[in-house]
Amino acid sequence: MRWFRFAVLILFVTVLQASVLANLNISPDLLLILLVFFCIYCSSTDAIITSFAIGFAADLISSPGLPMPMGPQMISFGLFGTLLAHLRRVISIRKMPYQALVIFSTALLAGGLAYFLAFLKGQTITANIWTVLLGVSIYSAIVGPFLFLPSAWWMHIRINRFARR
Amino acid sequence: MLFTWLMLAGFILLIAPSGWTNSFQFAFLRIFDWPLSIGENISLSVRARRRVQNTDVVSRKQYRELLNYCANVEASLRQERQKVEKLSRLRDKFPLGNARLIGALVYPAPIDRSHGEVIIDKGKDHQLAEGQFVLAENSIIGTVSDVSSGGARVKLFTNPASAVGVEIAGTKRLMHGAGGNLAKIPMMKYKPRIGTEVLAARKAGFLSVPMIVGKVHHCQRNRESAVLWDIIVEPVCDIEELNDVTVIVMNPQK
Repeated sequence: MRWFRFAVLILFVTVLQASVLANLNISPDLLLILLVFFCIYCSSTDAIITSFAIGFAADLISSPGLPMPMGPQMISFGLFGTLLAHLRRVISIRKMPYQALVIFSTALLAGGLAYFLAFLKGQTITANIWTVLLGVSIYSAIVGPFLFLPSAWWMHIRINRFARR
Repeated sequence: MLFTWLMLAGFILLIAPSGWTNSFQFAFLRIFDWPLSIGENISLSVRARRRVQNTDVVSRKQYRELLNYCANVEASLRQERQKVEKLSRLRDKFPLGNARLIGALVYPAPIDRSHGEVIIDKGKDHQLAEGQFVLAENSIIGTVSDVSSGGARVKLFTNPASAVGVEIAGTKRLMHGAGGNLAKIPMMKYKPRIGTEVLAARKAGFLSVPMIVGKVHHCQRNRESAVLWDIIVEPVCDIEELNDVTVIVMNPQK
């Protein structure tokens, strides 16, 4: 794992998400796409670290559609990233439709848990939060698999090297 | 083990006071202020350009204004259609030749109607002139007595100062207003039946065909001559409920 490249990539995507994509009503969650990418193509230990790191970055810029306190996304991304890293040992997620499905379900679950934790901390949840969450999940699932290739190129990861173990 | 420690860190962040944890967010915004502002500018300029280029889109305020304007126009159109329908029905019923029928609204009781006058909202601007007959509920109710540019006064045939030529049972007579929503045809040789129709007589330049004015309410002996009858006539429309009238303009200017 090239951690310097990882840090640069995460910083770049975080800034991109917080600036260019922040003005859209519903935008793909690039950090979540990267979470799934690293969980699919990295070792379990790397996947856990990257999941929490990406969650922390997501907390820094808040969630798309809802201002968040610090913590909820770090926990939810870390939890579902770790689960996904363990799931990858059993199920191969190499084809794009499967990757899209994994991104969609992870976005829904991680987003739902993050909003729940934010709610527990006293954050007001807006009425259209489920619409936003569904929109972000669908958008991310459509865009995500296409971003795996440039991410793999940047991280020097061969994306077809992992087979079912 | 790694997962546990990281999860613990997450929960510490979550339960820590917001004032303390928010400093991470503010620090990020301060450090990356420049790239963030560039990204936002790019995003906003793209959106603004798209908004300017899309000429089919109007603001919500303008949309509401246009919607309300349409509703008002439609209401006005419905009212005008009703007027046209009403006037064309009237024209079909009576052979009024090239007479122009002008619909007018009655002002709500500026003068007590029992005095035999109403004021309408059409005047000289619509070619109204003194002496023109006024219809309501398909019957003559009076004549235009005074005209200004924006309105006119209608003297009802029940007004004591009114005198209208009428036909009753084939006889042409003069009917005077008697006040109290009644009119009188004095000195008739014979007594007509109660309910006999009284028609406004044709009058050159004002009315080309006889039209109903009222019905015989009752008859009484003339005070000067016991062999003659005074015929009391009542209107065939409800004057008190009058909301709109139609003025017959026989020779309209084009």
